[in-house]
Amino acid sequence: MKIQQILQKCLEDWKKISGYDYCLLNEDDSIYISTCEKKLPQAAKLEEFRESSALCMSNTNVCLFKVMEGSLPAYVLLVWGNGEAVAMIGQLAVCQIQTLLTAYAEKSDKNTFMQNLLLDSYSEVDAFNRAKKLHIATSVRRAVFLVETKQNKDENALATIRNIFSARTKDFITAIDDSGIIIVRELQTTETYEDLQSIATMLVDMLNTEAMTSAWVSYSNIAEDIKHLSGAYKEARTALEVGKIFYAESNVFGYNKLGIGRLIYQLPVSICEMFIDEIFKEETLDSIDEETLITIRTFFENNLNLSETSRQLYVHRNTLVYRFEKLQKKFGLDIRTFEDALTFKLAMMVVDYIKYSKSH
Amino acid sequence: MASLSLQHINKQYPNGFQAVKDFNLEIEDKEFIIFVGPSGCGKSTTLRMIAGLEEISSGTLKIGDKVMNDVEPKDRDIAMVFQNYALYPHMTVYDNMAFGLKLRKVPKDQIDKQVREAARILDLEKLLDRKPKALSGGQRQRVAMGRAIVRDPKVFLMDEPLSNLDAKLRVQMRIEISKIHQRLGATIIYVTHDQTEAMTLGTRIVVMKDGVVQQVDTPQNLYQRPQNLFVAGFMGSPQMNFLDATIKESGANLVAKIGDSEQIIPAAKAKVLKDGGYVGKTVVMGIRPEDIHDSQMFIEATPSAPMTSVVKVYELLGAEVFLYFDVNGTQVTARVDPRTTSKTGDPIKFAFDMEKAHFFDKETELVITN
Repeated sequence: MKIQQILQKCLEDWKKISGYDYCLLNEDDSIYISTCEKKLPQAAKLEEFRESSALCMSNTNVCLFKVMEGSLPAYVLLVWGNGEAVAMIGQLAVCQIQTLLTAYAEKSDKNTFMQNLLLDSYSEVDAFNRAKKLHIATSVRRAVFLVETKQNKDENALATIRNIFSARTKDFITAIDDSGIIIVRELQTTETYEDLQSIATMLVDMLNTEAMTSAWVSYSNIAEDIKHLSGAYKEARTALEVGKIFYAESNVFGYNKLGIGRLIYQLPVSICEMFIDEIFKEETLDSIDEETLITIRTFFENNLNLSETSRQLYVHRNTLVYRFEKLQKKFGLDIRTFEDALTFKLAMMVVDYIKYSKSH
Repeated sequence: MASLSLQHINKQYPNGFQAVKDFNLEIEDKEFIIFVGPSGCGKSTTLRMIAGLEEISSGTLKIGDKVMNDVEPKDRDIAMVFQNYALYPHMTVYDNMAFGLKLRKVPKDQIDKQVREAARILDLEKLLDRKPKALSGGQRQRVAMGRAIVRDPKVFLMDEPLSNLDAKLRVQMRIEISKIHQRLGATIIYVTHDQTEAMTLGTRIVVMKDGVVQQVDTPQNLYQRPQNLFVAGFMGSPQMNFLDATIKESGANLVAKIGDSEQIIPAAKAKVLKDGGYVGKTVVMGIRPEDIHDSQMFIEATPSAPMTSVVKVYELLGAEVFLYFDVNGTQVTARVDPRTTSKTGDPIKFAFDMEKAHFFDKETELVITN
């Protein structure tokens, strides 16, 4: 919620309780927030009040109060009415507005700090000192979650996530750029990677059902100290990218579960292309017909079990053998053996990666 | 509410993995359809395609008369209840249910009307001012349902909504969902891997395996007339017993030879087997645990000679007893009367109710006769 909305709600509440109307004026006397449409005091009166050293002033039907931000007067609060009760209520309202402004500024500082920290903008010592100053614990376990929705800057998704974590004051929810929403979550000592997986799954389900949008969520390894958070953010980003390339049928990607996909992702494309040239020579993976490709994938999913694959595909075992022999003639790889199956599987993943790299 | 039509729906991911293969289904208005199958069978993917959360690779999806393939989820007039939900901790039950409508900028008075109506349906009226921490597990689950109901959608999509609950609460919520369906008169598509949930809730069940629909039918028909070995084995607990049997002619009868025993096949089933050219061939005979009897009266009334074995395990479940023993080297389970005298280690004499036997082709695994 923006500070203007927070203050509006605050003054509406004051009006409900006290029965008086309130208006908060900017430095140029324009209305910042108001609970009514009553006529404002004359400009000269307001100027006189601003230039005086008084913190409050009573007029015939309205009381004026200065609202300080730090040591400087930032706003003027008007309370319609007069008498001692109005003076007291006005001062109480000023007190609350000032507290809210301070808290909001601090929160905003924390968010800026966290964004810069994730982007690796601080030295280790600087990060430590700033965290201390902002009362952010340095040596606690945290994990970074990255949420990507189908639409960039999805306000409904952000609102949903903020409300899910509204009770957790030590978590940070922010958006660095169009790429998504970042959640830095402080973890209990008992929380494990299984819990991170459950949180990520819950986020996907909630965004699907509440914000009604497709979503992908990745999470980092657990960072034991604040200085490791920028690394954790990079891990979450990597997990999201690698996951979408190699594990497209999933919506949740943990950095610790990327397996061989992460290894391939870190290879230069030129080396990948060299590998593919060596494996497939003049042939390409695209030259394999769809039926054979499905056969190969099902065979891999069934741990190279011919009987199970033939059962699942409703084809005779001999048909499978024939297809694999044809493949062997073409590529020189007999995928019924572990070594060649491994090479072929790697090649398929590398092709997926090259295609992704070229399209991005 | 609305009907749905799924025509030749396929889902293939960029890496080539085909999660759903040629899915065809017509869903009538107000039906309670269940997608059931083991994990990875494509049931959730199909549901997510209906929701618009996954793109449809090929095929046509219609809700009512409108093709929905390229329509955004929020514009499909659907509501979803998924397995992993969270309630907003700082909001009351009322606000938790209203939140989705607020996001869609629905007018306040309409939100109020819809939330109170949903609360009435779910018996949450007295809890509207409570925060989630003051609710029981079942009440929380009902609030999660309420968030879907307030949207007043044409179709409800539920993906294993009860799987995070304990066994007792699951049974309770299952009844609640059934009541909600009756009260709302809504079209519901419900995904589960639990066949008990499927049998008790659905008006029709879609059994899936490896992305392929195996059978679409009423719960009773699925149980009594399975179309293949997978459906026969998946529906029912304990599952159907499967025995290799050779079909032989014996005088005027056709018999199923299981080891040394010959079981006379009833005339109607015998005709189908004979016409199908199965005489002299080995088929798979399926027999449900409740169709194996050890009572003297049944054995005497059965035309075939009784079979014998030794009870390996005796399980008393109160109203029934499960007996486990071997038939021709295959373990079978019999569900018998608790007054049975058979105990672990005892020899047992039993007979099959061959009227209820099912025969499957050993190669294709398709049913020959039920």
